[in-house]
Amino acid sequence: MSDRPDISPDDSGLAAEYVLGLLPEAEARALRTRLEAEPVLRAEVLGWEKRFAAMAEAEVDPVPPPSAVEAQVLARLFRADETRRRMGIRRWLAGLAVAGFAALAVLIYTGGPERGIAPDFAARIAAEDETLVLAATLDVETGRLAVLREAGAVAAGRAQELWLIAGEATPVSLGVLSTDAETEVIVPQALRPLFAGAVLAVSDEPPTGSPTGAPTGDVLAFGTVSEI
Amino acid sequence: MASQADLEQLIAQVALQDRAAFRALFSATSAKLFGVCLRVLNDRAEAEDALQEIYVKVWHRAARYSVTGHSPMTWLITVARNHAIDRLRARKGRVETLDPEMPLADPAPGPEARAVAAGEAARIAACLEELEDTRAAAVRGAYFEGASYADLAARFEVPLNTMRTWLRRSLLSLKDCLSR
Repeated sequence: MSDRPDISPDDSGLAAEYVLGLLPEAEARALRTRLEAEPVLRAEVLGWEKRFAAMAEAEVDPVPPPSAVEAQVLARLFRADETRRRMGIRRWLAGLAVAGFAALAVLIYTGGPERGIAPDFAARIAAEDETLVLAATLDVETGRLAVLREAGAVAAGRAQELWLIAGEATPVSLGVLSTDAETEVIVPQALRPLFAGAVLAVSDEPPTGSPTGAPTGDVLAFGTVSEI
Repeated sequence: MASQADLEQLIAQVALQDRAAFRALFSATSAKLFGVCLRVLNDRAEAEDALQEIYVKVWHRAARYSVTGHSPMTWLITVARNHAIDRLRARKGRVETLDPEMPLADPAPGPEARAVAAGEAARIAACLEELEDTRAAAVRGAYFEGASYADLAARFEVPLNTMRTWLRRSLLSLKDCLSR
Protein backbone atom coordinates (compact mmCIF):
# COMPACT_ATOMS: atom_id res chain seq x y z
CA MET A 1 0.00 0.00 0.00
CA SER A 2 1.03 3.46 0.96
CA ASP A 3 2.91 4.57 -2.14
CA ARG A 4 0.15 6.80 -3.29
CA PRO A 5 0.83 8.77 -6.43
CA ASP A 6 -1.76 11.31 -5.36
CA ILE A 7 0.07 12.71 -2.35
CA SER A 8 2.75 15.35 -2.82
CA PRO A 9 6.17 14.87 -1.19
CA ASP A 10 5.45 17.98 0.88
CA ASP A 11 2.24 16.58 2.28
CA SER A 12 3.81 13.20 2.86
CA GLY A 13 6.62 14.88 4.79
CA LEU A 14 4.09 16.87 6.77
CA ALA A 15 2.15 13.71 7.61
CA ALA A 16 5.37 12.05 8.79
CA GLU A 17 6.26 15.05 10.94
CA TYR A 18 2.78 14.99 12.40
CA VAL A 19 3.09 11.34 13.35
CA LEU A 20 6.51 11.92 14.88
CA GLY A 21 5.23 14.90 16.85
CA LEU A 22 7.68 17.28 15.21
CA LEU A 23 5.16 19.93 14.22
CA PRO A 24 4.71 22.97 16.41
CA GLU A 25 1.28 22.98 18.06
CA ALA A 26 -0.25 25.51 15.63
CA GLU A 27 0.86 23.49 12.60
CA ALA A 28 -0.29 20.25 14.17
CA ARG A 29 -3.70 21.78 14.77
CA ALA A 30 -3.88 23.01 11.19
CA LEU A 31 -3.01 19.54 9.97
CA ARG A 32 -5.69 17.96 12.17
CA THR A 33 -8.23 20.24 10.55
CA ARG A 34 -7.06 19.17 7.10
CA LEU A 35 -7.29 15.52 8.11
CA GLU A 36 -11.01 15.85 8.64
CA ALA A 37 -11.49 16.80 5.01
CA GLU A 38 -8.69 15.00 3.18
CA PRO A 39 -8.82 11.21 3.06
CA VAL A 40 -5.58 11.04 1.10
CA LEU A 41 -3.73 12.88 3.83
CA ARG A 42 -5.39 10.69 6.46
CA ALA A 43 -4.22 7.62 4.64
CA GLU A 44 -0.71 9.04 4.58
CA VAL A 45 -0.76 9.60 8.35
CA LEU A 46 -1.80 5.97 8.74
CA GLY A 47 0.89 4.97 6.24
CA TRP A 48 3.55 6.66 8.37
CA GLU A 49 2.22 5.17 11.57
CA LYS A 50 2.55 1.83 9.89
CA ARG A 51 6.08 2.42 8.60
CA PHE A 52 7.31 3.61 11.99
CA ALA A 53 5.56 0.78 13.82
CA ALA A 54 7.33 -1.60 11.43
CA MET A 55 10.60 0.03 12.51
CA ALA A 56 9.68 -0.68 16.14
CA GLU A 57 8.77 -4.27 15.20
CA ALA A 58 12.16 -4.68 13.60
CA GLU A 59 14.30 -2.93 16.18
CA VAL A 60 12.70 -3.33 19.58
CA ASP A 61 13.27 -6.56 21.48
CA PRO A 62 10.31 -7.85 23.44
CA VAL A 63 10.78 -7.74 27.22
CA PRO A 64 8.22 -9.55 29.36
CA PRO A 65 6.87 -7.10 31.95
CA PRO A 66 6.76 -8.16 35.63
CA SER A 67 3.53 -10.00 36.37
CA ALA A 68 2.45 -7.30 38.80
CA VAL A 69 1.79 -5.01 35.84
CA GLU A 70 -1.00 -7.21 34.50
CA ALA A 71 -2.53 -7.47 37.96
CA GLN A 72 -2.41 -3.71 38.32
CA VAL A 73 -4.06 -3.16 34.96
CA LEU A 74 -6.82 -5.61 35.80
CA ALA A 75 -7.33 -4.05 39.21
CA ARG A 76 -7.48 -0.63 37.72
CA LEU A 77 -10.03 -1.60 35.11
CA PHE A 78 -12.19 -4.10 36.93
CA ARG A 79 -11.77 -4.36 40.66
CA ALA A 80 -13.80 -1.42 41.92
CA ASP A 81 -16.66 -2.50 39.68
CA GLU A 82 -16.66 -6.08 40.66
CA THR A 83 -16.38 -5.59 44.37
CA ARG A 84 -19.28 -3.21 44.38
CA ARG A 85 -21.45 -5.50 42.36
CA ARG A 86 -20.70 -8.56 44.43
CA MET A 87 -21.19 -7.38 47.93
CA GLY A 88 -22.76 -4.00 48.05
CA ILE A 89 -20.77 -1.14 49.38
CA ARG A 90 -21.95 -1.38 52.98
CA ARG A 91 -20.79 -4.92 53.58
CA TRP A 92 -17.64 -4.28 51.66
CA LEU A 93 -16.69 -1.38 53.87
CA ALA A 94 -17.62 -3.23 57.03
CA GLY A 95 -15.58 -6.23 55.91
CA LEU A 96 -12.54 -4.13 55.29
CA ALA A 97 -12.97 -2.25 58.51
CA VAL A 98 -12.41 -5.28 60.70
CA ALA A 99 -9.01 -5.75 59.11
CA GLY A 100 -7.56 -3.06 61.29
CA PHE A 101 -7.74 0.42 62.58
CA ALA A 102 -6.46 3.38 60.78
CA ALA A 103 -6.40 6.44 62.89
CA LEU A 104 -5.08 9.34 61.00
CA ALA A 105 -4.54 12.85 62.05
CA VAL A 106 -5.79 15.19 59.41
CA LEU A 107 -6.15 18.87 59.70
CA ILE A 108 -9.63 20.03 58.89
CA TYR A 109 -10.92 23.47 58.41
CA THR A 110 -13.84 24.84 56.51
CA GLY A 111 -14.26 27.55 53.95
CA GLY A 112 -11.25 29.02 52.27
CA PRO A 113 -11.36 30.67 48.90
CA GLU A 114 -10.57 28.81 45.68
CA ARG A 115 -6.95 29.30 44.84
CA GLY A 116 -7.34 28.36 41.21
CA ILE A 117 -4.77 25.57 41.25
CA ALA A 118 -5.70 22.72 38.96
CA PRO A 119 -6.49 19.69 41.12
CA ASP A 120 -5.15 16.32 40.07
CA PHE A 121 -7.81 13.90 41.25
CA ALA A 122 -11.54 14.21 41.41
CA ALA A 123 -14.46 12.12 42.53
CA ARG A 124 -18.19 12.49 42.51
CA ILE A 125 -19.37 10.97 45.76
CA ALA A 126 -23.06 10.23 45.53
CA ALA A 127 -25.84 8.22 47.12
CA GLU A 128 -27.65 5.81 44.81
CA ASP A 129 -30.74 8.01 44.93
CA GLU A 130 -28.69 11.22 44.66
CA THR A 131 -30.04 12.58 47.96
CA LEU A 132 -26.43 13.21 48.94
CA VAL A 133 -23.94 14.40 46.33
CA LEU A 134 -20.43 15.67 46.99
CA ALA A 135 -17.74 16.75 44.57
CA ALA A 136 -14.19 16.17 45.79
CA THR A 137 -10.99 17.43 44.20
CA LEU A 138 -7.46 16.81 45.37
CA ASP A 139 -4.47 18.93 44.47
CA VAL A 140 -1.66 16.43 44.80
CA GLU A 141 1.04 19.03 45.19
CA THR A 142 -0.49 20.92 48.09
CA GLY A 143 -2.55 18.02 49.42
CA ARG A 144 -5.62 20.23 49.51
CA LEU A 145 -8.76 18.15 49.26
CA ALA A 146 -11.85 20.26 48.67
CA VAL A 147 -15.21 18.63 49.18
CA LEU A 148 -18.18 20.55 47.90
CA ARG A 149 -21.65 19.63 49.04
CA GLU A 150 -23.92 19.69 45.99
CA ALA A 151 -26.95 17.97 47.49
CA GLY A 152 -28.03 16.71 50.90
CA ALA A 153 -27.25 17.79 54.44
CA VAL A 154 -25.91 16.28 57.63
CA ALA A 155 -28.67 14.76 59.79
CA ALA A 156 -29.25 16.50 63.14
CA GLY A 157 -27.09 15.04 65.89
CA ARG A 158 -25.01 12.99 63.44
CA ALA A 159 -21.82 13.45 61.45
CA GLN A 160 -20.64 12.43 58.00
CA GLU A 161 -17.15 11.01 57.83
CA LEU A 162 -15.09 10.75 54.64
CA TRP A 163 -13.03 7.64 53.92
CA LEU A 164 -10.32 6.83 51.43
CA ILE A 165 -10.36 3.22 50.29
CA ALA A 166 -7.38 2.32 48.12
CA GLY A 167 -7.79 -1.10 46.57
CA GLU A 168 -8.26 -3.66 49.28
CA ALA A 169 -6.66 -1.59 51.99
CA THR A 170 -8.43 -0.67 55.18
CA PRO A 171 -10.47 2.52 54.87
CA VAL A 172 -8.52 5.53 56.04
CA SER A 173 -10.43 8.42 57.60
CA LEU A 174 -10.03 11.74 55.87
CA GLY A 175 -12.05 13.46 58.58
CA VAL A 176 -15.55 14.56 59.40
CA LEU A 177 -17.29 16.70 56.82
CA SER A 178 -18.35 20.20 57.71
CA THR A 179 -22.07 20.89 57.78
CA ASP A 180 -21.30 23.87 55.53
CA ALA A 181 -21.17 23.74 51.77
CA GLU A 182 -17.45 23.16 51.65
CA THR A 183 -14.95 21.17 53.65
CA GLU A 184 -11.26 21.49 53.13
CA VAL A 185 -8.78 18.89 54.29
CA ILE A 186 -5.04 18.74 53.92
CA VAL A 187 -4.19 15.19 52.97
CA PRO A 188 -0.83 13.98 54.31
CA GLN A 189 1.83 13.45 51.67
CA ALA A 190 1.93 9.68 52.13
CA LEU A 191 -1.76 9.29 51.33
CA ARG A 192 -1.88 11.37 48.17
CA PRO A 193 -0.63 8.74 45.72
CA LEU A 194 -3.26 6.31 47.04
CA PHE A 195 -6.02 8.41 45.48
CA ALA A 196 -5.35 7.00 42.01
CA GLY A 197 -8.26 4.68 41.27
CA ALA A 198 -9.37 4.62 44.90
CA VAL A 199 -12.90 4.93 46.24
CA LEU A 200 -14.06 7.79 48.45
CA ALA A 201 -16.97 6.96 50.71
CA VAL A 202 -19.02 8.84 53.27
CA SER A 203 -20.40 7.05 56.31
CA ASP A 204 -22.95 8.08 58.94
CA GLU A 205 -21.23 8.47 62.33
CA PRO A 206 -21.76 9.87 65.82
CA PRO A 207 -21.26 13.66 66.10
CA THR A 208 -17.53 13.42 66.81
CA GLY A 209 -16.86 10.90 64.10
CA SER A 210 -16.22 7.18 64.22
CA PRO A 211 -15.12 6.13 67.71
CA THR A 212 -13.22 3.12 66.38
CA GLY A 213 -11.19 4.57 63.54
CA ALA A 214 -13.18 2.48 61.07
CA PRO A 215 -16.58 3.19 59.54
CA THR A 216 -19.34 2.22 61.98
CA GLY A 217 -22.55 3.55 60.42
CA ASP A 218 -24.31 3.29 57.08
CA VAL A 219 -22.45 4.16 53.93
CA LEU A 220 -24.32 7.15 52.65
CA ALA A 221 -22.47 7.81 49.41
CA PHE A 222 -19.41 6.72 47.47
CA GLY A 223 -17.57 7.36 44.24
CA THR A 224 -14.45 6.34 42.34
CA VAL A 225 -11.55 8.73 42.07
CA SER A 226 -10.37 9.59 38.59
CA GLU A 227 -7.36 11.50 37.39
CA ILE A 228 -8.04 14.87 35.91
CA MET B 1 3.23 -15.70 19.18
CA ALA B 2 -0.39 -15.20 18.26
CA SER B 3 -1.13 -14.73 14.57
CA GLN B 4 -2.46 -11.52 13.17
CA ALA B 5 -5.90 -13.05 12.75
CA ASP B 6 -5.85 -14.19 16.40
CA LEU B 7 -4.98 -10.70 17.56
CA GLU B 8 -7.69 -9.15 15.40
CA GLN B 9 -10.17 -11.54 16.94
CA LEU B 10 -8.99 -10.71 20.45
CA ILE B 11 -9.26 -6.98 19.89
CA ALA B 12 -12.77 -7.44 18.49
CA GLN B 13 -13.72 -9.33 21.66
CA VAL B 14 -12.08 -6.73 23.89
CA ALA B 15 -14.24 -4.15 22.14
CA LEU B 16 -17.20 -6.15 23.49
CA GLN B 17 -15.72 -5.93 27.00
CA ASP B 18 -14.50 -9.52 27.04
CA ARG B 19 -12.06 -9.69 29.96
CA ALA B 20 -10.65 -13.10 29.12
CA ALA B 21 -9.81 -11.82 25.63
CA PHE B 22 -8.18 -8.78 27.21
CA ARG B 23 -5.93 -10.97 29.33
CA ALA B 24 -5.04 -13.08 26.30
CA LEU B 25 -4.25 -9.93 24.33
CA PHE B 26 -2.09 -8.69 27.19
CA SER B 27 -0.13 -11.90 27.39
CA ALA B 28 0.37 -12.04 23.63
CA THR B 29 1.47 -8.44 23.14
CA SER B 30 2.73 -6.90 26.39
CA ALA B 31 6.37 -7.97 25.97
CA LYS B 32 6.63 -6.07 22.69
CA LEU B 33 4.89 -3.00 24.07
CA PHE B 34 6.98 -3.11 27.24
CA GLY B 35 10.05 -3.20 24.99
CA VAL B 36 8.77 -0.06 23.26
CA CYS B 37 8.15 1.66 26.62
CA LEU B 38 11.65 0.77 27.83
CA ARG B 39 13.21 1.98 24.61
CA VAL B 40 11.40 5.32 24.78
CA LEU B 41 11.49 5.97 28.52
CA ASN B 42 14.74 4.25 29.42
CA ASP B 43 13.51 3.77 32.98
CA ARG B 44 11.99 0.54 34.23
CA ALA B 45 9.60 1.89 36.82
CA GLU B 46 8.29 4.52 34.46
CA ALA B 47 7.96 2.00 31.65
CA GLU B 48 5.85 -0.21 33.94
CA ASP B 49 3.54 2.68 34.76
CA ALA B 50 3.29 3.60 31.10
CA LEU B 51 2.49 0.01 30.15
CA GLN B 52 -0.39 -0.04 32.64
CA GLU B 53 -1.81 3.16 31.23
CA ILE B 54 -1.41 1.89 27.69
CA TYR B 55 -3.46 -1.23 28.34
CA VAL B 56 -6.13 0.83 30.09
CA LYS B 57 -6.31 2.84 26.85
CA VAL B 58 -6.38 -0.33 24.77
CA TRP B 59 -9.37 -1.56 26.77
CA HIS B 60 -11.24 1.69 26.25
CA ARG B 61 -10.29 2.18 22.63
CA ALA B 62 -10.59 -1.33 21.27
CA ALA B 63 -13.94 -0.51 19.71
CA ARG B 64 -12.26 2.12 17.58
CA TYR B 65 -9.43 -0.12 16.43
CA SER B 66 -11.13 -1.37 13.29
CA VAL B 67 -11.59 2.09 11.78
CA THR B 68 -7.86 2.72 11.76
CA GLY B 69 -7.29 0.04 9.14
CA HIS B 70 -4.08 -0.88 10.94
CA SER B 71 -2.76 -4.32 11.69
CA PRO B 72 -3.11 -5.16 15.39
CA MET B 73 0.60 -4.69 16.13
CA THR B 74 0.76 -1.40 14.22
CA TRP B 75 -2.15 -0.11 16.24
CA LEU B 76 -0.81 -1.33 19.58
CA ILE B 77 2.71 -0.07 18.92
CA THR B 78 1.36 3.32 17.84
CA VAL B 79 -0.73 3.65 21.01
CA ALA B 80 2.26 2.56 23.11
CA ARG B 81 4.85 4.76 21.43
CA ASN B 82 2.65 7.87 21.54
CA HIS B 83 1.77 7.34 25.17
CA ALA B 84 5.39 6.74 26.16
CA ILE B 85 6.52 9.84 24.24
CA ASP B 86 3.81 11.91 25.94
CA ARG B 87 5.15 10.75 29.30
CA LEU B 88 8.69 11.51 28.27
CA ARG B 89 7.73 15.01 27.20
CA ALA B 90 5.75 15.60 30.36
CA ARG B 91 8.90 14.66 32.26
CA LYS B 92 10.76 17.31 30.29
CA GLY B 93 8.01 19.83 30.93
CA ARG B 94 6.64 19.93 27.41
CA VAL B 95 2.92 19.89 27.29
CA GLU B 96 1.67 19.13 23.80
CA THR B 97 0.09 15.74 23.44
CA LEU B 98 0.71 13.27 20.66
CA ASP B 99 -2.32 11.34 21.44
CA PRO B 100 -5.32 13.38 20.47
CA GLU B 101 -8.46 11.45 19.74
CA MET B 102 -8.42 12.12 16.06
CA PRO B 103 -10.90 10.91 13.54
CA LEU B 104 -9.12 8.42 11.35
CA ALA B 105 -11.80 6.35 9.71
CA ASP B 106 -10.20 5.36 6.48
CA PRO B 107 -11.53 2.90 3.97
CA ALA B 108 -8.28 2.70 2.03
CA PRO B 109 -6.04 0.01 3.54
CA GLY B 110 -7.99 -3.22 3.46
CA PRO B 111 -7.17 -6.74 4.60
CA GLU B 112 -4.42 -7.02 2.00
CA ALA B 113 -2.61 -4.00 3.37
CA ARG B 114 -2.87 -5.50 6.83
CA ALA B 115 -1.38 -8.73 5.63
CA VAL B 116 1.72 -6.93 4.34
CA ALA B 117 2.57 -5.67 7.81
CA ALA B 118 4.77 -8.57 8.90
CA GLY B 119 7.01 -8.36 5.84
CA GLU B 120 7.25 -4.63 6.29
CA ALA B 121 9.35 -4.94 9.45
CA ALA B 122 12.04 -6.83 7.58
CA ARG B 123 11.91 -4.40 4.69
CA ILE B 124 12.17 -1.29 6.81
CA ALA B 125 15.23 -2.69 8.52
CA ALA B 126 16.85 -3.06 5.09
CA CYS B 127 15.74 0.42 4.03
CA LEU B 128 17.15 2.02 7.19
CA GLU B 129 20.44 0.36 6.28
CA GLU B 130 20.38 2.26 3.00
CA LEU B 131 20.27 5.59 4.81
CA GLU B 132 23.46 7.19 6.02
CA ASP B 133 24.05 6.30 9.66
CA THR B 134 23.44 9.79 10.99
CA ARG B 135 20.21 10.10 9.03
CA ALA B 136 18.88 6.82 10.26
CA ALA B 137 19.87 7.95 13.75
CA ALA B 138 17.83 11.13 13.31
CA VAL B 139 14.76 9.13 12.25
CA ARG B 140 15.16 6.86 15.27
CA GLY B 141 15.74 9.86 17.54
CA ALA B 142 12.48 11.44 16.41
CA TYR B 143 10.48 8.25 16.74
CA PHE B 144 11.94 6.56 19.80
CA GLU B 145 13.11 9.56 21.78
CA GLY B 146 10.54 12.11 20.72
CA ALA B 147 13.38 14.43 19.76
CA SER B 148 12.27 17.79 18.40
CA TYR B 149 13.88 19.48 15.42
CA ALA B 150 15.74 21.70 17.88
CA ASP B 151 17.02 18.63 19.77
CA LEU B 152 18.11 16.99 16.53
CA ALA B 153 19.73 20.16 15.16
CA ALA B 154 21.76 20.44 18.36
CA ARG B 155 22.68 16.79 18.35
CA PHE B 156 23.90 16.77 14.74
CA GLU B 157 25.24 20.30 14.89
CA VAL B 158 23.34 21.69 11.92
CA PRO B 159 20.99 24.66 11.63
CA LEU B 160 17.35 23.95 12.38
CA ASN B 161 16.14 24.42 8.82
CA THR B 162 18.85 22.19 7.49
CA MET B 163 17.78 19.58 10.01
CA ARG B 164 14.21 19.76 8.80
CA THR B 165 15.20 19.43 5.13
CA TRP B 166 17.51 16.58 6.03
CA LEU B 167 14.99 14.59 8.01
CA ARG B 168 12.24 15.09 5.48
CA ARG B 169 14.52 13.83 2.71
CA SER B 170 15.49 10.84 4.78
CA LEU B 171 11.86 10.03 5.45
CA LEU B 172 10.92 10.31 1.80
CA SER B 173 13.81 8.05 0.75
CA LEU B 174 12.66 5.60 3.36
CA LYS B 175 9.19 5.68 1.91
CA ASP B 176 10.52 5.28 -1.63
CA CYS B 177 12.65 2.37 -0.59
CA LEU B 178 9.68 0.67 1.05
CA SER B 179 7.53 1.06 -2.02
CA ARG B 180 10.11 -0.46 -4.38
